Amino acid sequence: MPELWKLHDAILNGDAKTAVAVTTEALAENVSPLELVQKYMVPAMDLVGQRFECEEYFVPELLLAARAMKGSLALIRPLLVASGAEPVGRVAIGTVKGDLHDIGKNLVSAMLEGGGFDVIDLGADVAPEKFVNAVKERGAKIVALSALLTVTMGSMKTTIQALKDAGVREEVKVMVGGAPVTEQFAQEIGADGYSENASSAVALARRLAAS
Amino acid sequence: MTSKERVAAALDHKQPDLVPVDFGSTAVTGIHVSCVAALRDYFGLEKRPVKVHEPYQMLGWMDEDLKRALGLDVDGVFPPRTMFGFPTIDWKPWRTPQGLEVLVPGNFNTRVDAKGDTLIYPEGDLSARPAGRMPKDGFFFDTIIRQEPIDEDKLDPEDNLEEFGLISDADLAHFKMAVESLAGSGRAVMATFGGTAFGDIALVPGPFLKSPRGIRDVAEWYMSTASRRDFVHRIFERQCEIGLANLARIHAAVGNAVDAVFLCGTDFGTQMSAFCSVATFRDLYFPYYRRINQWIHRNTAWKCFKHSCGSVERFIPSFIEAGFDILNPVQCSAAGMAAEHLKTAYGDRLAFWGGGVDTQKALPFGTPAEVRAQVLDRLSIFARGGGFIFNSIHNIQAGTPAGNMVAMFDAVREFNGVATHA
Repeated sequence: MPELWKLHDAILNGDAKTAVAVTTEALAENVSPLELVQKYMVPAMDLVGQRFECEEYFVPELLLAARAMKGSLALIRPLLVASGAEPVGRVAIGTVKGDLHDIGKNLVSAMLEGGGFDVIDLGADVAPEKFVNAVKERGAKIVALSALLTVTMGSMKTTIQALKDAGVREEVKVMVGGAPVTEQFAQEIGADGYSENASSAVALARRLAAS
Repeated sequence: MTSKERVAAALDHKQPDLVPVDFGSTAVTGIHVSCVAALRDYFGLEKRPVKVHEPYQMLGWMDEDLKRALGLDVDGVFPPRTMFGFPTIDWKPWRTPQGLEVLVPGNFNTRVDAKGDTLIYPEGDLSARPAGRMPKDGFFFDTIIRQEPIDEDKLDPEDNLEEFGLISDADLAHFKMAVESLAGSGRAVMATFGGTAFGDIALVPGPFLKSPRGIRDVAEWYMSTASRRDFVHRIFERQCEIGLANLARIHAAVGNAVDAVFLCGTDFGTQMSAFCSVATFRDLYFPYYRRINQWIHRNTAWKCFKHSCGSVERFIPSFIEAGFDILNPVQCSAAGMAAEHLKTAYGDRLAFWGGGVDTQKALPFGTPAEVRAQVLDRLSIFARGGGFIFNSIHNIQAGTPAGNMVAMFDAVREFNGVATHA
């Protein structure tokens, strides 16, 4: 039987090699994939988020932890899907139209995955209609929009308008973030929530999923 | 005072006759080409396409007539090649996605992909993989990450040092000629010689290289600063040695006609926090900054200019200890970066080059009255006792209304007691 706490620590320490090795071994010995996620991975990523919040961890450590978590999750996800396990929520995420800067978005995406969400990552420079399609066709309940530039912030408003025009705005919660974005801006464009970093984005998504 | 004397006084923390102003002397204190064109229109200057001298951010060249109209105090000396590796010569017409006619360097070679994005090529070589992408209807380029698979056992610092060679005689002649050509302008000279930016994330992907090797992916680089720190140290160690050798040759060629040197643009701050701890900064970056700055202070009259966006208050004591004289862009909107606090705590030891107005909110989206109010407030704080060169917080972004830019320049003139443009 593998020592499963090593999976927790490997994610916490950003050790992708060990995370994958422990996960492989655990799955081979029929440890429940859901148990791996809920008992070891989600708590590890929560702790990573806490360390980021208190500035013990910074972007490099967050990226390393996210990579370890994703390596492990890649092995587990197909088994979760096959077992019919329900995610905490389904999020469609992307940087808005015209914005190619995706490091922040990638961090939020990874943190959400690590928080137990099913994440549909639409990538960078995502047209509003792609977010609409993710809601209509893939059942996203949260749309997460990222922008780094003052010249692309307006695309957040355009995307929310596209959700309204498609008649799906009431079906989803919209959360926004990125360097120039503020709580006030989020309210002005009619978003449901704003997060100032990747860690608090998980808490926000959990609140939105529960509301 | 001449502009040069004014800037020198400010950098020496003495009260100049007027607050000196910079726009366009570096790639982090400039103005988007569309805004330069708008300013030329506003002031009724000769109608001609503006040169895009920095294609990555699409910064417009400030011609002499515009510098005079705006009352600028600083001239810039730039490297001979752009971020995409081609020289700023042989200008040719180009039309931006918004339909503005501009001039670009001869090897500014692009293709439009199926999505409508504009791709640009390193050294203008259309047979190479594109190095930058401007989204359809976009305003500037972002680097395309060209990361070869990493074999941990074969990682070699030399791969990340391809761009840091000893300076060629031709490049040395370029700097010498550029500095000499500014001798009669009466303005201060800010020079960007290159080679001393340690881990600048804009440069790590090597957009100027045809086939970048080593660690070139942005996220991989950030992770490497934590997981492969010895490797990064080996890159910085060698880069520092080369940089010092080059600075000696450059100084021998240009002397002290240069007033300040833009040494490093590595960002340590995010909007709300930092990219690393102070402990990491002191271990990984500080030793190299200190060696570069010490050499400059011992051997030249140049002032050392450090650019870092974001919330960097925690690093400022280390910046000062490392020998930096000037901080830019002084992002007052970031956490812990309130103007009054920075001036009070560090204003006697560090000159602020920037911080004049916020380019995330007030300048692009505020009213002219809001711009004026913010500019006057910042001037009243930062200009006390010198130590301040007026500049916006980073480059003026595309889409900024001309009326707001003019309100900014007029507020500076109002503060300086000079007739405004209105």
